[in-house]
Amino acid sequence: MPSDCLIPGQPVPLPRGPTLQLGSGVYTRNGETRASLLGTPQFHGSTLSIHRVKPHPPAPNSVVVGSVTRLSPQQAVVSITVVDGVPLPPGEDFTGVIRVQDIRATEKDKVRMGDCFRGGDVVKGLVISLGDARSYYITTARNDLGVIFATSEAGGTMEPVSWQEMRCPKTGKVEKRKCAKPEGL
Amino acid sequence: MAQSGFDRRRVNGPSESFQPTFDDGLEESSDLYDNWKLGEARRKRHPGDIRPIFLQTGFIKQANGSAYIETERTKIACAVYGPRQSKSSSYHETGRLSVEVKFAPFSSLVRKVPIRDAEDRSIANLVHQALASSVRLDTLPKSVIDIFVTVIECDGIESCVAAATVAASTSLAKAGVEMLGLVVSCAGAVVGEDVWLDPNEEEARLASGMLLCACMPALGVTTSVWQTGRVLPAKALLSLQLCQDRCSDIHQIVALALHED
Amino acid sequence: MASSSDLNAQIFQRLHPRAYLERFLAEQVRPDGREAEEWRDLFVHVGSVSTADGSALVRLGDTTVVCGVKAEIAEPDLEQPTEGFLVPNIDLPAMCAPRFKPGPPSEEAQVLSDRLASTINATGVLPLSALCIHPERAAWVLYVDATCINYDGNAFDAALIAMVAALKNTTLPKATFDEETGRTTCSRKIREALPLKRLPISYSFGIFDGSTVLADPTAFEEPLLDASISIVLDEHGSLLSTGQLGIADKDKMSACVTAAKERYEARGREIYSF
Repeated sequence: MPSDCLIPGQPVPLPRGPTLQLGSGVYTRNGETRASLLGTPQFHGSTLSIHRVKPHPPAPNSVVVGSVTRLSPQQAVVSITVVDGVPLPPGEDFTGVIRVQDIRATEKDKVRMGDCFRGGDVVKGLVISLGDARSYYITTARNDLGVIFATSEAGGTMEPVSWQEMRCPKTGKVEKRKCAKPEGL
Repeated sequence: MAQSGFDRRRVNGPSESFQPTFDDGLEESSDLYDNWKLGEARRKRHPGDIRPIFLQTGFIKQANGSAYIETERTKIACAVYGPRQSKSSSYHETGRLSVEVKFAPFSSLVRKVPIRDAEDRSIANLVHQALASSVRLDTLPKSVIDIFVTVIECDGIESCVAAATVAASTSLAKAGVEMLGLVVSCAGAVVGEDVWLDPNEEEARLASGMLLCACMPALGVTTSVWQTGRVLPAKALLSLQLCQDRCSDIHQIVALALHED
Repeated sequence: MASSSDLNAQIFQRLHPRAYLERFLAEQVRPDGREAEEWRDLFVHVGSVSTADGSALVRLGDTTVVCGVKAEIAEPDLEQPTEGFLVPNIDLPAMCAPRFKPGPPSEEAQVLSDRLASTINATGVLPLSALCIHPERAAWVLYVDATCINYDGNAFDAALIAMVAALKNTTLPKATFDEETGRTTCSRKIREALPLKRLPISYSFGIFDGSTVLADPTAFEEPLLDASISIVLDEHGSLLSTGQLGIADKDKMSACVTAAKERYEARGREIYSF
């Protein structure tokens, strides 16, 4: 571990200059800035923070990945297993919902749940808010959000054809999904 | 005496069994303090000496954070899971800390029947009290942090609680839970006119009163004080001071263990 | 600090565990780098718990089990007046893996305790008559309590070795029963080892996809298995018992017996040599 790694409670050595904004992993007490996480302080522009790549709960604007566990015309319930690129320990998950109005950005009143998600689909979404006691609210209303992996009725791994269709390589049959634009395109 | 009602979830022994009684008539052998009289000095250690601490982190890879602590005969393992989604039906703005302490049946001279009892609960509360004010729970809405402690061997219950607190705080730091500072803890036994720090089982029996103190040396604050038995106020304050001084040393040990990734 | 490709692999493992394992096996290797028939390192350490009459700590890879034996005295059962009691139990506490919750023993723990107790009894580790202090009046009760403090699969093999090693490490004070007072008194000075008759060793395997035999499965592999097979040998390598849970081809059992014996030849003799 590098020698500039701080332990919680340790004062952060601040460079001279304009006052910094405090990000996560640090806090102020009696005018002194201290670390609240075990790690090395980093500067992103004028923000000071300490990061730890550890599984953590979703927060607004977190990118999450999970599988669809339940469907209703109003919402899709998702078992979130990856938060901000960090997979949760096996057996741990957070519950999220994608409400019908948060699936797409356009033509929101014409959305049908069955044309967007099926049970077992792996979905990438963005956390809008902490939601209620049971679930975090998630949106897929962006080009890069939506289904990233799905199995066809025949059991094959489907490939995205457009933002609302996927094709099964075994049967050639097309199924409707709200797909995420694959990376690199 | 172990009187276990039939527990259909475990392999059962006879309905009643007794701890062996020995030919020397003593309930527990006191090897170290044989023929010791009140007013005599502490044996084998100075009053202010704590037992050497061995602290190792990260041995349970599936847990977010974990630590194993050993101080001579006290052996404790700790794991931190979470922050996890709280199962509570009500929305809570600040996170919750949940502490569970389990004693292995063979951890003390008298076998502990593995039914969860009031002692486990009260020890868990002591550890919770020591840690609660150090964790930035406001950064964890809707979440709960589970701290599980297993005591493998216990040599002095108060020192055991202190060691469990140290292991738990270390595990929290490894788990990436935001904290105001590390919490360390130390127990002091009032024996006659003296205060003996980090008492073992035998020494605890000789004490007239006991003080358990938890603090955050980085901030110079105390998070929890627990006093039992008969202690004069002046003695209590002295014990508190001695414990706090010793806590800075323990803090160094934890810092070293955390840096050895 | 995990690189982004490490994280991608971890994400894939989390979302598609079965496919993840299949990809590794296609390359003749398992996610932890072992070959299909390879075992993890076994580490046995006895006598470290001073509050127990006998103890053992066993590590099989990351799976860690601590076992302590506590001896108490009781009246023998009316039906078995010249026998004592052997009470093995294992605890799988919430700390050892994310899926265990706090509370009374889970079904998995109950099944495991049951399997361990029946293996210890069936293989004749300790004749219960050796625990008799005085017929009908006093006998030893040995509580053999194991706790898993880190669960990475194959708790059965680790726990059986821990229990047997703890028993081998156990000494009992010499006990005398006084007919007149009806009380048993133990010597503070004289302690005797247990007259153990057999020291069983278990070798467990998992069957994946109906065909691949995986020795010593990890916590990641276990939920993906179709069946599991346990082979119990004694300290000389002779077959004591076999057990199977789930469906597997008939030839798998004999393949496992052969593999278990091979593993015994490689490392079995040293397990209880302390």
